[in-house]
Amino acid sequence: MIVKAPSARKNGTVRAGAEAGTEPIPLRYGDDPYVWACWLYYEDRMTQGDIADIMGISRATVNSYLADARARGIVNISLEPSRLSSLSIAQELKRHFGLHDCLVVPSDDNARPLIDRLGGAAAQALAKLLKSGDTLAVAWGRTVLAIGEQASVPGLQDVTVVQATGGTRASFAYTPELCAAAIASAVDGKLINITAPAVVSTAEVRDMLLRETLIESQFAALAKANKALFGISSLRPNSTIHTSGFFESVSLQQYLAKDAVGVVAGRFIDGQGNPVAGPLDDRTIGISLDRLKAIGLRIAVAGGFDKVPAILAALRGGYVNVLITDAATGRGILNADGVTELDQKLSQRPRLDNTVALPSNFRTHIKKFLNDPDDVVEEMLDGVVKAHAAYIEPIKGSHRALVARTGPRPGKVGLVIGGGTGHEPCFLGYVGKGLADAVAVGNIFSSPPPGTIFQCANAASGGQGVLFVYGNYAGDVMNFEMAAEIAAEHNIEVRTVVTTDDIASSPLEDREGRRGVAGNFFMFKIAGAACDRGLSLDACEAVTRKANARTFTMGVALEPCSLPQTRRHNFEIGPDDIEIGMGIHGEPGVIRERMMSADAITDRIMDRIFSEMKPAAGDRVAVLINSFGATPLMELYILFRRVAQRLSAKDITIEANWVGHYCTSLDMVGASITVLHLDNELTELLHHPCDTAVLRVG
Amino acid sequence: MSDNAARRLSRMFYRISIAIEAGKDHLSDLDGAIGDADHGITMSLGFMAVNAELAKLDLDHMLASDVFTAAASAFLDAVGASTGPLYATAFRRAAQALKQDERLSAAGQAAIVEAMTTGIKERGKGQRGDKTMLDAWIPATEAAVSACARAAGSRDMWKSILEAAEAGANSTRSMVAARGRAARLGERSLGHMDPGAASAVIILRAMKDTFGEDAAK
Repeated sequence: MIVKAPSARKNGTVRAGAEAGTEPIPLRYGDDPYVWACWLYYEDRMTQGDIADIMGISRATVNSYLADARARGIVNISLEPSRLSSLSIAQELKRHFGLHDCLVVPSDDNARPLIDRLGGAAAQALAKLLKSGDTLAVAWGRTVLAIGEQASVPGLQDVTVVQATGGTRASFAYTPELCAAAIASAVDGKLINITAPAVVSTAEVRDMLLRETLIESQFAALAKANKALFGISSLRPNSTIHTSGFFESVSLQQYLAKDAVGVVAGRFIDGQGNPVAGPLDDRTIGISLDRLKAIGLRIAVAGGFDKVPAILAALRGGYVNVLITDAATGRGILNADGVTELDQKLSQRPRLDNTVALPSNFRTHIKKFLNDPDDVVEEMLDGVVKAHAAYIEPIKGSHRALVARTGPRPGKVGLVIGGGTGHEPCFLGYVGKGLADAVAVGNIFSSPPPGTIFQCANAASGGQGVLFVYGNYAGDVMNFEMAAEIAAEHNIEVRTVVTTDDIASSPLEDREGRRGVAGNFFMFKIAGAACDRGLSLDACEAVTRKANARTFTMGVALEPCSLPQTRRHNFEIGPDDIEIGMGIHGEPGVIRERMMSADAITDRIMDRIFSEMKPAAGDRVAVLINSFGATPLMELYILFRRVAQRLSAKDITIEANWVGHYCTSLDMVGASITVLHLDNELTELLHHPCDTAVLRVG
Repeated sequence: MSDNAARRLSRMFYRISIAIEAGKDHLSDLDGAIGDADHGITMSLGFMAVNAELAKLDLDHMLASDVFTAAASAFLDAVGASTGPLYATAFRRAAQALKQDERLSAAGQAAIVEAMTTGIKERGKGQRGDKTMLDAWIPATEAAVSACARAAGSRDMWKSILEAAEAGANSTRSMVAARGRAARLGERSLGHMDPGAASAVIILRAMKDTFGEDAAK
């Protein structure tokens, strides 16, 4: 590799050793560009952009040098052993219990009491986890109070802190009232106390109190909690539960006799995390275990070896998805659950066998609006459900299965659509009156599972059968087929139309093997109209099949898309290349060509479409110009202009058209053109009114 | 510590999860060459969900077949996609096979491999040479069956299973995809190892490590 002289250096961008008027002789490090790049990066602390300028290479190349240098062992990054070990324990806990996050405090620092250290760690974590607008339910305990005392989270707006249980007359420092107040003041939030005792004398008294307007409103606030913060108490003799006097000791013995091992938010659980029934249940005022489990982010802070069984139980019961603990406790939990791989993992960490060579222009940093990449689908759906509440609502609280508010009705065939995410507004934007009745939502570019699809079928069913319409992908076909089997067991008749509009994906003789892409838009519209008009299941299926047979799509990608979880391009494309025949999952296209003009690209596509559609003068069509995500409307209109010219030259009338983002592929640059070859029946159904978040007709 | 069969299987799933996690980026890169680059993420998600589910169960009082049944639903609910139904069906078939003999003997281990392959074949309607995960699973099954026939021990059997699976996965490089999204690429899928076959090898290697270690005790 030859390194160019640093002539590409720009004014003022070089921070290292550039005295006025003198060009320093660049150190070549034996002409090894890897060492040179690493020195500038790690020792001189320059940015990759500055290094690129100095070395006269692209920033992407600098990036790959730095990555390669680590792979080759030129650079070794070492972590302090005790920190590494707590990090590994945190990773294992996270993996083993499927946690959202886990923070483990190193155990070797015994200068401060454990509760203070846990409180300090949790205080820091709280600053990251708590956002403006959150409602945080706070339970009581020594650890929770320690968090409140050490936390300081400025700059948040509209945070509400709700006491998760009733109060107590006991006079210890960490009462529910004081814990909630400490946290509220630390986060500058609005405090809502539960102004009733945590444990009352009889079940009747509890029921009466819960009906009291004031307490009812406090519980309404608690029900809005989207995050929870609590400790976990063991039932060992010296635990807080016994010493605080919060519970009567006679009752405690009865819970212990039934194998209770811990207490979460004032409720007793056994070793598997199941609720333990006992004398206090009907007399307790506070959040229920079921309600706690339904809260999105459930932060438990607990440590100490005597708490291992209780924490393990809380983890098994699913009450916790963010755990903050210490290394000794974390290791104890893993060992108690039979995880022994940890120790060997600490000594030999898995090496990545990266046999796929990456080209040097591979970009590794792609900017996206993200919080935690693992939450991208859930957070999007949370937003969708809120934004389009007028059209859709979750089925049984699941954002993965959404039903139209004004869709399903008795006597109507139900229309269920669905697929992976990353195609927004597909598929959930097409749910509403006159269109789909329910949508099943999968992970990014991945089919939803059968259970979710069946929930949709069940919600959409009006007794006249259910029609599934989805794109032809192996995964979708298998999952929807399994869902149809489940539906049959529940006496719901299901018919399926698998869409195959992508003419580039297979030759004409293998029409059934083609994939379904943006043409879904038309198939959904036609099927939705047929269902809304009260046609029979047979008729709905037949007309949707006809629409599919008469819909032709072809796409072109100019740049690949990138997945939120990897933030990397999912394939590479040369600076002057385009992919013709691009699907909507970022699969590489069928042919790679040199970049050409918009009209030339449109002509390539229209020629293919005409060759299959075989239109006659005077025919009518509907046209969809669809962006793959990053291509702006400006360019879509340029494509539409040429499509209209080509159609007009053949004396074909555009009955209706749509130009915009209708079936995307994340942030792919590119577009697809779809033509629906209309007949009278399809024209009528196309104009049938519908009202959804994305498409409104009539 | 003498583990029961359910615990051994739980450990097996745990090892699979670790191995898949370690190979996640590699699998996604393989998938990026011929698919949508999410295979590593999808597999990792599925086995994480299996682990999380198994962690909630009382393994000491469970049968080996129950572990596979629980794994099947956890994997399916978490993943969907195409791997969801394929491996969920595989795990269900394995559970059915184990109901004949819950002890995880060498023959039982071979039966797991065979049943999983049958499940994948049925659900995906695929066969050898389609450039899919079956190109690893089918040779692995053949190796398991023939090892059983010559009454080989567990370690010997797993050695030959893994060799057969690795050779099968390598052979996908010279195949043109017939199923799945890669099928749309035609001959452009040539030269790339199928990511599904690559992850199958990772799974089988983790199974070998688990059962081989047990046999060594």
